[in-house]
Amino acid sequence: MNGTPQVADYLRILPEIVLSVFGMAVMLLDPLLEERRRAKVLGGVGLVGALVALVSTFCMAKQRGPAFWNMVQVDSFSVFFHFLVIAITVVVVLSSYEYMEVQKIRAGEYYALMLFGAVGMCLMSSAVELVLIFIALEISSISTYILAGFRRRAAISSESSVKYFLLGSFATAFFLYGVALMFGATGSTSIAVVSTRLQAEPTVPVLAYAAFALMFVGLGFKVAAAPFHVWTPDVYEGAPSPVVGFMSTGPKAAVFAVLLRIIFEAHAPGALWFVWAAAALSMTIGNLAALVQTNVKRLLAYSSIAHAGYLLIAFAALKGTDGIISAMFYTASYAAMNVGAFAVIGHFAGAGERYITLEDYAGLGRRSPVLAATLTIFLLSLIGIPMTGGFFAKFYVFSAALQNNLIWLVMIGVLNSAIGAYYYLRIIVTMYMREPNHEEAVPPVSFSLGSALAISVVATLYLGILPGRVLDYARSAAEYIR
Amino acid sequence: MNLAAIHSWILTLITFTPLVGALLLVLSPRRDREIRWFALGISLLTFVLSLHLLVHFDKAKAGFNFELDRAWIAAPNIHYHLGVDGVSMWLVVLTTFLTPLCVLISWTSIQERVKEFFILLLVMETALLGVFVALDLFVFYFFWEATLIPMALLIGMFGHGRKIYAAVKFFLYTMVASVFMLAAILWLYAKTGTFDFVVLQNTVHTIPGYAAASFWLFLGFFIAFAVKVPLFPFHTWLPDAHVEAPTAGSVLLAGVLLKMGTYGMLRFDLGLFPEQSRANASWIMVLALIGIIYGALVALVQPNMKKVIAYSSVSHLGFVVLGIFSFTTAGLDGATYVMLAHGISTGGLFMLAGILYERRHTYDILEFGGLATPMPNYAAFFLFIVLASCGLPLLNGFVGEFLVLSGAFQAKAIYGILGATGVIWAAGYLLWMYQRVFYGKVTHEINNTLPDLNLREKTALVPAAIMALVMGVAPVLWFNTIDPAVQSILAPFAQMASRVVGP
Amino acid sequence: MTSEANLHLSWIPLLALTGATVNGFFGKRFSRSLVAAVALAFCGAAFVWALVVVSRFSFLPEPVYSEPFAQWIQISGFHVEFAFFLDHLSLIMLLVVTGVGFLIHIYSVGYMWDDPSFYRFFTYLNLFMFFMLTLVLANNYLQMFIGWEGVGLASYLLIGFWFTKDSAASAGKKAFIVNRIGDFGFLIALFLIIQHFGSLNFTQVFDAAGRLPMETAGAGTMTAVGLLLMVGAAGKSAQIPLYVWLPDAMEGPTPVSALIHAATMVTAGVYMVSRSHVIFERAPMALTVVAIIGTVTALFAATIGITQTDIKKVLAYSTVSQLGYMFIACGVGAFSAGIFHLMTHAFFKGLLFLGAGSVIHAVGGEQDMRKMGGLRSKIPWTFWTVTVGTIAIAGIPPFAGFFSKDEILWKAYQNNWVYWFVGLVTAFITSFYMFRMWFLTFFGEYKGDADRHDSHGNDHGHGHGHGGVHESPMVMLVPLMILAILSIIGGWVGIGGRFEHFLAPVFQTGVEAAHEVEPHSSMEEILMLVSVAVAVCGLALAWLLYVKKPQLPKQIAEGMGSLYRAVFNKYYVDEFYARLLVKPLLLGSTNILWKGVDQGVIDAALDGSATGANEVSDSIRHMQSGNLRSYAGWIAAGAAAVIVYMIWVGTR
Repeated sequence: MNGTPQVADYLRILPEIVLSVFGMAVMLLDPLLEERRRAKVLGGVGLVGALVALVSTFCMAKQRGPAFWNMVQVDSFSVFFHFLVIAITVVVVLSSYEYMEVQKIRAGEYYALMLFGAVGMCLMSSAVELVLIFIALEISSISTYILAGFRRRAAISSESSVKYFLLGSFATAFFLYGVALMFGATGSTSIAVVSTRLQAEPTVPVLAYAAFALMFVGLGFKVAAAPFHVWTPDVYEGAPSPVVGFMSTGPKAAVFAVLLRIIFEAHAPGALWFVWAAAALSMTIGNLAALVQTNVKRLLAYSSIAHAGYLLIAFAALKGTDGIISAMFYTASYAAMNVGAFAVIGHFAGAGERYITLEDYAGLGRRSPVLAATLTIFLLSLIGIPMTGGFFAKFYVFSAALQNNLIWLVMIGVLNSAIGAYYYLRIIVTMYMREPNHEEAVPPVSFSLGSALAISVVATLYLGILPGRVLDYARSAAEYIR
Repeated sequence: MNLAAIHSWILTLITFTPLVGALLLVLSPRRDREIRWFALGISLLTFVLSLHLLVHFDKAKAGFNFELDRAWIAAPNIHYHLGVDGVSMWLVVLTTFLTPLCVLISWTSIQERVKEFFILLLVMETALLGVFVALDLFVFYFFWEATLIPMALLIGMFGHGRKIYAAVKFFLYTMVASVFMLAAILWLYAKTGTFDFVVLQNTVHTIPGYAAASFWLFLGFFIAFAVKVPLFPFHTWLPDAHVEAPTAGSVLLAGVLLKMGTYGMLRFDLGLFPEQSRANASWIMVLALIGIIYGALVALVQPNMKKVIAYSSVSHLGFVVLGIFSFTTAGLDGATYVMLAHGISTGGLFMLAGILYERRHTYDILEFGGLATPMPNYAAFFLFIVLASCGLPLLNGFVGEFLVLSGAFQAKAIYGILGATGVIWAAGYLLWMYQRVFYGKVTHEINNTLPDLNLREKTALVPAAIMALVMGVAPVLWFNTIDPAVQSILAPFAQMASRVVGP
Repeated sequence: MTSEANLHLSWIPLLALTGATVNGFFGKRFSRSLVAAVALAFCGAAFVWALVVVSRFSFLPEPVYSEPFAQWIQISGFHVEFAFFLDHLSLIMLLVVTGVGFLIHIYSVGYMWDDPSFYRFFTYLNLFMFFMLTLVLANNYLQMFIGWEGVGLASYLLIGFWFTKDSAASAGKKAFIVNRIGDFGFLIALFLIIQHFGSLNFTQVFDAAGRLPMETAGAGTMTAVGLLLMVGAAGKSAQIPLYVWLPDAMEGPTPVSALIHAATMVTAGVYMVSRSHVIFERAPMALTVVAIIGTVTALFAATIGITQTDIKKVLAYSTVSQLGYMFIACGVGAFSAGIFHLMTHAFFKGLLFLGAGSVIHAVGGEQDMRKMGGLRSKIPWTFWTVTVGTIAIAGIPPFAGFFSKDEILWKAYQNNWVYWFVGLVTAFITSFYMFRMWFLTFFGEYKGDADRHDSHGNDHGHGHGHGGVHESPMVMLVPLMILAILSIIGGWVGIGGRFEHFLAPVFQTGVEAAHEVEPHSSMEEILMLVSVAVAVCGLALAWLLYVKKPQLPKQIAEGMGSLYRAVFNKYYVDEFYARLLVKPLLLGSTNILWKGVDQGVIDAALDGSATGANEVSDSIRHMQSGNLRSYAGWIAAGAAAVIVYMIWVGTR
């Protein structure tokens, strides 16, 4: 711990700083504004904050290298995830705007928490020091715990918040314990050091194995991988839709980043088979359970479990960088479609999230063609139909696995995506082929939400038609942690 | 624009003209009448464009005509690679030929959500065309899957009866099957780093581990195709899909969509895995034979016109598969010809069935009888197409089936013999249905009041009828382009091919 | 093969086709007379041109003429063309078809005049001519197959001409499908020929086949081909077991029965077998089968003929039996005799049918002979012409039937006396039931009721507006007379084996052409006398039973009991087919295949897997108790599993 931080060090965490500043600004402004204008202004501030942070990632990207005594590492990898996480935040903020009004939720600290959450997630992707990673993880977790409970009028929301909090802290405890063991095993918590030590040793100590197992439990919980997925449906059902969009993509992306660093950069031992098992289990459980769901939010909760499974396939592809690349691409395209999907759901659900079951979607194709078409695109992408991001996401993951001759895992994945097609299709079918059962007009889409949807749609299609750019970036990023 | 440029871009033009039309429709106001005319115009334009292929097709040229190969996505290494040979060109033309008829036949039968209907129809056309022109496995797979959505929606939104059940069944059945193909494609890509069919065809044997994997790859492709064909026992989606689909849907489904399967076998199973194709030919041909006889027998006892026609498709497509896997010139030429002929005649039958449905809103054969008296012209057209479909010489059905059977006969006599029973069954179920619908006295009073064909309906039917006749009388026009293509497909099967008919 | 002289053979079928097309498309708007004019004009033109061709043909350097017309199918290693072929065999067929066809066209104008869809009838009739001529003039098997299936179609349309009548519609369908069964055999034969000769062209195939040895030692390819062709022929020419469609075909208008189901189409099988004689001569086994089938059919059908009461049914069964004769001839290698009988049969059976038509027309659509009688005086022209036909078919010299039938019997005798004997018995029965018909119809008291009403359900085409028994108009009588004359003199061309010599160029090529040389004259005369005697006996018996002692038949019938009933019900063959083939097929398809396999197995399996997935899904959902402790439990369990696994890996 010698020397004092340079300016560069601060620039290398500039997005985090920006987000925190604006987050606090929101907190401070909150009491000063009167009730009416509060939501708008705070939302605006939150949005601006996110956007500024987004821009700041560019100047961060210019300052590559370690910071703060090698606790933070700025490289293409961390830039990629910074950009992703903050972009998610932008879209979610945009889509929350109208939602908050409809749900009559006091904006207050909502946007602040969202920004703080983003801080945690960003930090996770650039932290190369296990303890710091833990702290970042906690930052993001705590804010999402609270966000989950934001529909204060709905008991179910608070319940979900509590569940999430209790189980979440239970899981992070595992992670922390894992960190401790890793320190015991290698005498360091710096990923680089851990990596070198583990490779230096002729036989990796059992302790390291155990340590990694514990860390995986903690992280597996966050990404809702089986068997640590049980919390997901309840929490998603209760939490506000935009928040679900947020917590099902942002933290996931960040945690997967961490997982990538731990598995690939730290060369965590013995990962292959239980990642394999977790992937297979998550896909199968997620898809099968989703089959009979009638509550759209629960349905998508299971779908996100399944997608965590697909993503984990990439982590079983240990040889070469294909695994890393495909995982990065997957997190991006999954974010694009899922945030979008939840934005639509949140809008359609109406006050108090009344319309949330499959039946409510009957005839949506007629009642609100645009909304239905948008949701259809997201669903097709979730199915993995070509020309959508979802397709290439699956595609890269599968081919990475095939490069590593994980043929059976790929077969499981392919079959699962066939099963998965069914329940996504059910929603499309209901929207277009069923007669509407209530003729209440769907409220018009506000500008903010519209732009949020537009961004998601464009991103989804862009990733599906011209994946080249993003892929190349991921490839260059992958070099850093290999 | 010089001819070379036209030649390289014409396929793109043909393929995407309908899509452009669809997009324009999306933006256009809901003025049904104009929309119908517009859709008709676009589909006709596409057809006219496709004629360019017939005029400028160079059968001397080795490989593919009108080829276009542009790098599209670097990673994965996807090329926008299009091209047609004598087989796929005719399938393209078949598609562009049937679509305007579909538009005409849906003119009045579709009254609700007209705009959506024609959008879907045109999107469907693009997807189908894409399947036949794609030479890059990825592009192929994309169009392959892309056909699912518009068709499922056509069935689900504009169908009748258990339309949702039918649509979902259709979607899942074929979707589940095609993921196996996806897995195979992925494997090939992972090992070779290319999707290009032409490249793969030459390099596939050199892949390490190909020998071990080739059976599974072959199977992966085959299952996807077999379900589409549909080959017994994967056929049960077809009757439901047909019965509930709107007329135009059925026409495209039977006329073109099923050919995707047989075309796929011809192009990809035979093209990429010749050894496996030959190794597995026997059980495949057995399935095909079962399909021929089974489909016919079940068709015989269907109480519903559309189901009769649907099962007859199972039977007819059985002929195609039988021909393909006989690996004889006659077999493959015949198979290709049956694809086209079946497209015309079964398409025609579905149009006719649809015309009747529009008048009586039922396909139940028992609801009819004696129709020849109130609707003589309709009866005449129907009989003509029925005869074409049951393989009467000088009509389109005969030539193909004859060649297929003689090819199968050379491959293995018993196959030809069992297959030939098909000609008996076909006459059985078709003529029986015809008798019950058109002959005898009019049993239901309402049928006496049914109007005969109107001008629009005639306009839709006449081209099909003419084609049925021309294809039966002058198959030479087709074979002089089909045969060279078949020869090059058969090239790897030299020792097989040496047993083709002829002195 | 093609000689400089161009005979424009193609015109003959094309003329007929044009007629069909014109009437088909515009006939609806034409007046009756115009329709008739068109039909007759084109058919007549075809006939005239046929005559021209014949006259020119005799001047050709070689007795075979082939005229390429267009390519049909052309793929690597195999091609079939449209081309027309003429030799002495097809020459005779050509004349019979166009000639008799033209006469029947004329007759039909009168017979169908009152039918509402007059134009449709002539469209079909011309269409039939086209296909029949294509069949006859084909120069390769596949083109022959076109005609083959085409005439099947025409016959389907014409049998079902009065389609509002279910029996007619079903009869048409039955005819087509039964023929399809025959065609199945034909097709397989073609495949075999392609496989062995690589071509379907007659000249090429027969040249190649001619070089093959005789398959005396058991069956070989030629035998297989022969047998399969025979299946086809049996379908078209109504031989056992495929004859069942012909009697039902009588549902069609009578001129149709005359043209298609007596004179021309049904003889196509005989023509095809004779055409393929090169193949058959190398397949003695196949020939034997042909002979046996012919013999059995001849006798079998004749016996049924005895008991029929519907005048047309009698003629129908007699046709089947006469066709049997022709097959006997082919079977014993006497192809020319077969063709000879084919020709004479065309004359007198055409005549008889037209006559029957005239009778039916006279009595206002009645077809049951028991409701006729005593028409001799009422319709003299018809009576006399039918008489000629009856004598001719009975085989009494010097009428046509005698010569051809006798020729066949003689050839049969030379080959194997059993054929001859059965043939003789059949001759007796034939003579008996034909005179039975003759007596029942024209002698005794008129028992009908045509005076009370006209146009009985059966035959629509006529009777409207004129009650009472009446002679037919001239347009119907003239063809009768012409055919009557032909039935008398038609056989004379056979005297002294002239007919055989005429066909020699065609059949000489055969190896078997040897034993037409030695003239077993004495024996031949004896047999001749025997057959004449037999014919006369038949006449006598008929006279005894139906003129002298009209009550006898009933008693005999009762005496026979079940046997009589069996015969009267055509040996229950139709019922047999219905029970053992059709019904099981339908039931099986419905209950086993469709409801069983399709719905019971395949779809059930799919639905099963779907429900299975749902149940799994449900159970997983119940894992989701919502209870926090259980969730924690799951996580802990999962964690434990992971940790244990990792420690195991680590310590390994």
